[in-house]
Amino acid sequence: MQNAKFLKLLKKVGYFYTMKKDIYAKMQILSESAKYDVSCSSSGSDSNYKTGELGATHNSGICHSFSADGRCISLLKVLLTNYCIYDCAYCINRSSNDIERAAFSPRELAEITINFYKRNYIEGLFLSSGIIESENHTMELILRVLKLLRHEYKFNGYIHVKLIPGSDDVLIDEVVRLASRVSSNIELPSDKSLKLLAPNKTKSKVLQPLKLARDLSLERTNKPIGMSTQLIVGATPESDLDILKLSSVLYDKGLLKRVYYSAYIPVNDDKNLPTIVAKPPLLREHRLYQADWLLRFYGFSYDEILTVHTPNLDEELDPKTMWALNNLHLFPVEINRASKEELIRIPGIGVRGAHKILKARRYKRLGFEDLKALKISLKRARYFISCEREFERSISFYPEKIKEALLKPEEKAQPNLFDVSGISGEI
Amino acid sequence: MTLRYDGTFEGFLTLVYEVYYKKYKVEFIHRPSKEQKLFDDAIEIVYDELKSKKVFEAMQEKWTKAEIQRVMYIFLCDEQEFEIQLLEYIQIGFKNPKELQNINYSSVFFIHNLEKELFRQYHKYSGFLRFEELEEGSLYAKIDSKFSLVYLLGCHFAKRFNNQNYIIHDMKRALAFVKFGDSMDVRSVSDFEEPTKSVDEEKFQSLWKTFFHSVSIRSRQNEKLQKSFVPLIYRKYMSEFT
Repeated sequence: MQNAKFLKLLKKVGYFYTMKKDIYAKMQILSESAKYDVSCSSSGSDSNYKTGELGATHNSGICHSFSADGRCISLLKVLLTNYCIYDCAYCINRSSNDIERAAFSPRELAEITINFYKRNYIEGLFLSSGIIESENHTMELILRVLKLLRHEYKFNGYIHVKLIPGSDDVLIDEVVRLASRVSSNIELPSDKSLKLLAPNKTKSKVLQPLKLARDLSLERTNKPIGMSTQLIVGATPESDLDILKLSSVLYDKGLLKRVYYSAYIPVNDDKNLPTIVAKPPLLREHRLYQADWLLRFYGFSYDEILTVHTPNLDEELDPKTMWALNNLHLFPVEINRASKEELIRIPGIGVRGAHKILKARRYKRLGFEDLKALKISLKRARYFISCEREFERSISFYPEKIKEALLKPEEKAQPNLFDVSGISGEI
Repeated sequence: MTLRYDGTFEGFLTLVYEVYYKKYKVEFIHRPSKEQKLFDDAIEIVYDELKSKKVFEAMQEKWTKAEIQRVMYIFLCDEQEFEIQLLEYIQIGFKNPKELQNINYSSVFFIHNLEKELFRQYHKYSGFLRFEELEEGSLYAKIDSKFSLVYLLGCHFAKRFNNQNYIIHDMKRALAFVKFGDSMDVRSVSDFEEPTKSVDEEKFQSLWKTFFHSVSIRSRQNEKLQKSFVPLIYRKYMSEFT
């Protein structure tokens, strides 16, 4: 019944729809269509296995493979279908694109998930979908997969579900009860850009299901369901400051656990999109992730990292180093006395390094040699620290001098004629 | 002075006992090797239950559970030479248990790091291990790891494959973790015949390969990064890389 209606609708839109596509072709099409979603984490859920059932989640998450682009594969990331009634300019699956379309049946997808899981290919399922027929209909189909997996196959593994903006509260409530994590992609950092490129979406429409999901799960437990979103970087003129400010607001409100940044990859031609993009802005994406980490794990606020005068992240140096150079009055930090909060703000020293320092300095005063023995990299940190009387004397303590030293390529030791190891690699 | 022991945790405890009471100045500690060297002046340490037990009880008395467990875990790192450092670690711990956290000692730092390395590998294999479905429905995985991991991995999968029977087969050490129904144990494998796979196995393997290849974004291709995350050594039994 529903299928017939669906077919009719598709014919109206002008699609040639074949129901009997072989499973490999479907897998190819539907994973191809889902791959631009960068979220792939399976972390943040405590182990929840049940005796006599299948599946458990792992708090730190587990990567099961890495694809040729170096991204982790943790979840079976597919679309239920790539048919879509929306026509968002940046999206490969927009309705005006002439691409191959396919759809999994809920049972088919559940079975593949279980079989992949049993072979330890995946940590769980990442389920998204193009919008078919209506928002509610799509959400219902997704819910059917979710119910099959949780109730019939007794699967307790990780399931990440994309909430469909504009679907009924009742449906979202059911999804939130069954999923491990839910998300809804904002994609573009401002309403203006959304209006231009995704006429069917607005920021509040995208955020509405997330707010609802948070409130619903808060009613039941004090630990709300994990949620995330994705922002496309480089398709529209927003600055890094705009993006980071938005992320920061979303984190502060406790709405999201994570924001993903996706370097814009041109998949469509559109008059509103940048036309010449030789390469996706991967470095900018990388810098944004670094800044995002500073927000979430290092106690920085967005306005410490970027200001109206410097609204974009530096390409040459990472955001923490840039911050340190701009705030040189807080340095050098004395390794033997600084608090943990101060230690993790030193460029080149992370949370692990700070822990090692805290642990080791209980027993003795640390010097540069001690830090080296603890395998703490001093490549960047050396200019920003002091160990009692020791500090980097060769570089004078001015931002431009330090920056110059940091950017200078490392000198490769010339192999000495008598130094056999340099040539043969043997001791 | 060179000592030789049987390569086990218990044997090593005997060694600790002997070193303490006979005041050996230890330079090398060997595990049993097949070829006996011509001028071998190593002192053979023979396992002695009573001596080992004494050392173990002393550890229990003074150390925390995690510190004792760390010593036991080190013996899973069997492709690494750790004996000299471990001996020093234990000696430090007997002098003052608090110093077992003092990573300024190179031996303490070494032992802590080796344990971390073990868990790093264990964590990697918990993702990279590949099971195949056999005829009768149980799951079978091969592993060829640097450290002995079948026990840790077996326990890891007991949670997620609670309603499955499975075998994790360590090809190098001829060991296997077997879970069948409610029973779980590590057995040694004397002779081995390649098991028959289920009818569906090939289908899902190629479905997985299809997914694996189509999920990668061509304009972001970065095989160097891929290699740093999945070094070749892990890929031996991963179907998507063969």
